[in-house]
Amino acid sequence: MAQPPRSLAELFLGFLSIGARSFGGVLPWAHRVLVEERRWITPEDFAETVGLCQVLPGPNIGNAAILLGKRWFGLRGAAAAFLGLMALPFVWVLALAALYADFAGNPVVRAVVTGVGTAGAGLFIGTAIKLGRTLASKPAALAIVASVFLAIGIARVSLLVVLPVAAAAGLLLSRRNLL
Amino acid sequence: MILLELALYFGILSLVSFGGMASVMPEMQRYVVDVKGWATAGEFIQLFAVAQAAPGPNVLIASLVGWKVAGLPGALVALGAICAPAAALALWVSSLWERFRDSPWRGAVQRMLVPLVVGLVLSGGYVIATPGAPDWRMWLIAALSAAGTLHRSLNPLWILAAGGFAGALLL
Repeated sequence: MAQPPRSLAELFLGFLSIGARSFGGVLPWAHRVLVEERRWITPEDFAETVGLCQVLPGPNIGNAAILLGKRWFGLRGAAAAFLGLMALPFVWVLALAALYADFAGNPVVRAVVTGVGTAGAGLFIGTAIKLGRTLASKPAALAIVASVFLAIGIARVSLLVVLPVAAAAGLLLSRRNLL
Repeated sequence: MILLELALYFGILSLVSFGGMASVMPEMQRYVVDVKGWATAGEFIQLFAVAQAAPGPNVLIASLVGWKVAGLPGALVALGAICAPAAALALWVSSLWERFRDSPWRGAVQRMLVPLVVGLVLSGGYVIATPGAPDWRMWLIAALSAAGTLHRSLNPLWILAAGGFAGALLL
């Protein structure tokens, strides 16, 4: 059975251990720590909380940390979970960036880092394809994907312009069961 | 003043980042590179690479942009600004969401967001892999990486490492 953390310190340390180990993506580590190691929440609860956070704007696991922290210890819990999650990765990423700045003049280092970034872009494309598989049989959904890509990716129109238009069109189609 | 500008821009971005940071990457790149000139497209891809290679949520790209523009205060302000508005919204919506469990609008909103997020994430990948004129070597690395993600559940860290290796050979 799931047993919530007993203290703010325990909550903070749990999320600290997620942040510290989350190379290559936070989600799998969040699941491992919260559900398997510490057993603070059930797998179903985890899936529903993360699912809601994936619909909402903002960093998914960052929001999940805030919602869970709030549930257990109120706003202080939200702050403890969020700071625990972010503290070490924040230090890590700045240290890495500072280290990189010293070597950015080296063409081989530049090529490696650009390669890593390009592979990261490929991860986005792969993720989009995975998410989009369920849309393959829905022409209206594919039309939205294509329009958003043309407007944002190719024409470089601001998201703040595209989002309201696409959301309104999507809601209309969605209410007519075309999505 | 630049801190205020960072706070304002990332604060707005926070509220439109449906589906997470990947959705706002093309917008962030457009603003940082095309509108503000805070970094070149080539520098942006390197900031992105550092954020991807470090552990932690990919929202940390915001703190790297802040760091590049205004040092440590910039990093803290950018990270706070991109997280706080969305967090406040999440706290508010999580209570509403339960109440609207059976509302047809809830399902409609969820279905509407899927193609939108797919289009945005796809754009993010394309924009980052195309920092200047189309370069077949970068597209090849991105395509192989995308294929690797689809093929099986590899740890993304291996894909990033392979990308670095390919970069050293090709770029």
